[in-house]
Amino acid sequence: MKEQWRLLKTGYNTAAMNMAIDRAVLVASSKDMVPPTVRFYGWSPPAISIGYFQSLKEEVDLDNCNKLGVNYVRRITGGGAVFHEDELTYSIIIPESHKEIPNNIMDSYGRICGAMIKGLKELCIQSKYVPINDIITDGKKISGSAQTRKLKTVLQHGTILTDVDVDKMFSLLKVPDEKIKDKLITDVKQRVTSINHILGRKIGFEEVAAAMKQGFEKEFNVELIEGSLLEEEKELASEFERECFGAKDWNHRR
Amino acid sequence: MQSRSIYKVPNGKLLKILLEYDTKKNTINEIKIMGDFFAYPEEAIEVMEKELQHTTLDENCIMEKIKLVIKENNIEFIGLNIEGLTKGILMCKK
Repeated sequence: MKEQWRLLKTGYNTAAMNMAIDRAVLVASSKDMVPPTVRFYGWSPPAISIGYFQSLKEEVDLDNCNKLGVNYVRRITGGGAVFHEDELTYSIIIPESHKEIPNNIMDSYGRICGAMIKGLKELCIQSKYVPINDIITDGKKISGSAQTRKLKTVLQHGTILTDVDVDKMFSLLKVPDEKIKDKLITDVKQRVTSINHILGRKIGFEEVAAAMKQGFEKEFNVELIEGSLLEEEKELASEFERECFGAKDWNHRR
Repeated sequence: MQSRSIYKVPNGKLLKILLEYDTKKNTINEIKIMGDFFAYPEEAIEVMEKELQHTTLDENCIMEKIKLVIKENNIEFIGLNIEGLTKGILMCKK
């Protein structure tokens, strides 16, 4: 019998709550309260997440975010700033000691991205993993991921773009040199793609989620059983939302 | 004096350094190490920033200090390395 992992589909949440849920599941997993967990989610309102080491005010145009009703949040993972709007976001939370997870961090990025690559294949999209943390199709980025390891537990989350609005993204992100902003926008438009663009049709969240579920099941030879957050996880998530990801101290700390 | 640098680490990520240093003593007062790189454990970057205080702004001194902090805290960088971090810091020197 195949090993059973938990699948969480938590729908659309605020940026602070999304990051709080991932962290709450990490804590629950570290206490053996839950099986390895794969989560699919979206962002409402749209949001910018920045990497742990980034400076919020240097990376994000906070005035424009407020004007456009876009959330912003600092992640517990490293990596770069991401604009979350039309995408499926995934996370996987699993003990570091699990036999399917390589000890080597770079190897584990590749392994987990393998699930996304198999998921994209379900949608007839051929793609490959490009270290450090990207998946590309036809030479363009379609997915990016970030991983942390805490409490002997791996948390990797990332995006699979269903659509992309580069102009809007750059109205929310700051660039080091305003003089080259137009060139940067042109470059990014040439380097980033989305499922909608490749398939030539609008894909729904559920269709992407179904494909990614199969991708995870095939990559790790497991069965994903849809479940829900434990009460303890919900309480922890509320606490992290209030005291960490929704708090100025955390988001403005760098 | 306050200074900053932006350095794309070869085959790595974008490193941004914010540095306040003593021009007379040639030592670091305060440093912020920022960017889209990865470091494990993440919180160790704050230890690195603290440990770099009072370090002489000299390639060997900085590199040795970084190596020591990495060893003591078991830090793993991805998209950043000792040479890149050292270079980013020294680029702030005017």
